[in-house]
Amino acid sequence: MAGELASSTASPRITRGSSRRVAALRLLRRRLIQAVPLMLGVVVINFVLIQLAPGSFLELMTAENQVSDPATIALLRKTYGLDDPVWLQLLKYIWALMRFDFGFSYRQNIPVIDAISVHLPATLLLMISSITLALAVGIAAGVVASMKVRTVWDTLVSVVAMFFFAAPGFWLGIMLIVLFSVKLGWLPVGGMATIGGASSGFAAVLDILHHLLLPTLALGLFYAAVYTRVMRSSMLEVAQLDFVRTARAKGLSRNRVTISHVLRNALLPVVTILGVQMGTVLAGSVVIESVFSWPGVGSLLFDSVSSRNYPVVLGIMVLGSLMVIAANIAVDLVYMWLDPRIEIR
Amino acid sequence: MQRLELPRFEFIGRFARNRGALIGALLILVVALMALLGPLFFPVDPLRIVGQPELWPGEDPDFPLGTDSLGRDMLSMIVHGARATLLIGLFASAVATVIGVGVGATAGYFGGWIDEIAMRAAELFQTIPNLIFVLTIVVILGSTLTNIVIAIGVVSWTPIARMTRAEFLSLRDREFVQACRAMGMGDLKIIVTEILPNALPPVIVLSSLVVAGAILFESAVSFLGLGDPNVASWGRLVGDGRLLIRSSWYICAIPGVAIMITVLCLNLIGDGLNDALNPKLRDR
Repeated sequence: MAGELASSTASPRITRGSSRRVAALRLLRRRLIQAVPLMLGVVVINFVLIQLAPGSFLELMTAENQVSDPATIALLRKTYGLDDPVWLQLLKYIWALMRFDFGFSYRQNIPVIDAISVHLPATLLLMISSITLALAVGIAAGVVASMKVRTVWDTLVSVVAMFFFAAPGFWLGIMLIVLFSVKLGWLPVGGMATIGGASSGFAAVLDILHHLLLPTLALGLFYAAVYTRVMRSSMLEVAQLDFVRTARAKGLSRNRVTISHVLRNALLPVVTILGVQMGTVLAGSVVIESVFSWPGVGSLLFDSVSSRNYPVVLGIMVLGSLMVIAANIAVDLVYMWLDPRIEIR
Repeated sequence: MQRLELPRFEFIGRFARNRGALIGALLILVVALMALLGPLFFPVDPLRIVGQPELWPGEDPDFPLGTDSLGRDMLSMIVHGARATLLIGLFASAVATVIGVGVGATAGYFGGWIDEIAMRAAELFQTIPNLIFVLTIVVILGSTLTNIVIAIGVVSWTPIARMTRAEFLSLRDREFVQACRAMGMGDLKIIVTEILPNALPPVIVLSSLVVAGAILFESAVSFLGLGDPNVASWGRLVGDGRLLIRSSWYICAIPGVAIMITVLCLNLIGDGLNDALNPKLRDR
């Protein structure tokens, strides 16, 4: 294992532990500093998109609320700073976002940030359960395929993974509904809870899990396929390294070596991919939520897109990017924990 | 110009030995022919009502894949949809390749602060959740075919840029490039005529995978009802059939299978090309 390798050369355990904590904090600080220009970039892209939009927010809002009084429109122009020069508008926009002021959702009549935070837990739940499923299935299938390499099992795993890798998530979701909800009647068609069902306690949790299963499969199986492929090739690669041969020469059984030596090191590429794909998982949940009427950010985005509720759409894009940045920092820390040899720049 | 690639016949031979890639290539050929020649066999507008609504596949020999809720021929819609779906995938991939190669080549060739800025930009575009970005662009700029293609290209260029940059980094100090510099050749000419041809093979592999990704993107956008209303792509057909899953789920299933097979074949081709280009990596 990597830890064992390192411990033979590094200083005693106690100092190593504390120095690792220092290194982790240093990494965290550097990542946070790097995140600032990234976030600024996202905001600028957002701003450019607003400027590119045919017709201003104001025209849309006034049309939406059927305002035609010129005095009111002039007042709104002043309120929204539309008469300011573009650079000042940008600065004001950045300043507003820094205070988590994402504007106002004129449809729901609440601040955008409130509209999003109401829907966020459902999306996080779906994302976490899908990633968990994908990791569990992907790692297990990848390990099996690599241990039985070039056998029927290997081929079977690869073929199944190829199919899930190519199937559109929304279509897979619909097919799952057809099979498990319409034909078999085992699972609900959509939503997050049974209407009029238990609202608290164990029964409510069970009810949510019942509703969670199909969306989790629809979103997670694609990533399970990705992780299977990555895990398989990574296992095969690590198995050829010198320390694995040493472990075998020590007299450890093949399974023991695979589980405790190869597996841990082979996980690193999976962690990398997980970080890179955090944004696509979030984006994928938009479509899956729309298929299953899952009351998350995706459903909100879909409603906002259909009603051209720009402030909410842009707010979701900014917050989504923020989430991706945060997730990537977390992944870097996990990476460091998995492999102490790695110095992340 | 010096070329560093392998002999062509050897390349084709390696590709053809990969059974999956061969099957993928043949099936894609079928889909492409369908897209090209489809209108000859199905000259009637696919959106015209031609029969009874909701005929199951095989129920009426005139409509082998059945009819949809309005009585339109499913087979004809699939054939015509192939054209839309493939074209959108190809054009979006072309947009991504042009941006990616442009950014990657500049970054890799010049290095320094240009490289730094280019890679930060790539990171930025990877940070924004891709489909959310596409939907935002499409909803703000309008659901036209051009906007959808550009939007998908804008979210798909980063891997191509990274790959191109890596190739340029490894090639820019080779002797043949130094020779060109010594001869006084301009930077642009060196990039375009000397390095680029040698850097392209792995980039082309990646582009074929981007086509697959673009098809999935487009199908999701159309499925959500934000596609170009004048284009009946496969994703839109799935979306149209969505409300009928209780009575006629085949309306959803068939176009989805078409998407899946096409994407699967493109992935197989990409894998095959990859193996043929890097024989050392074949077992991975």
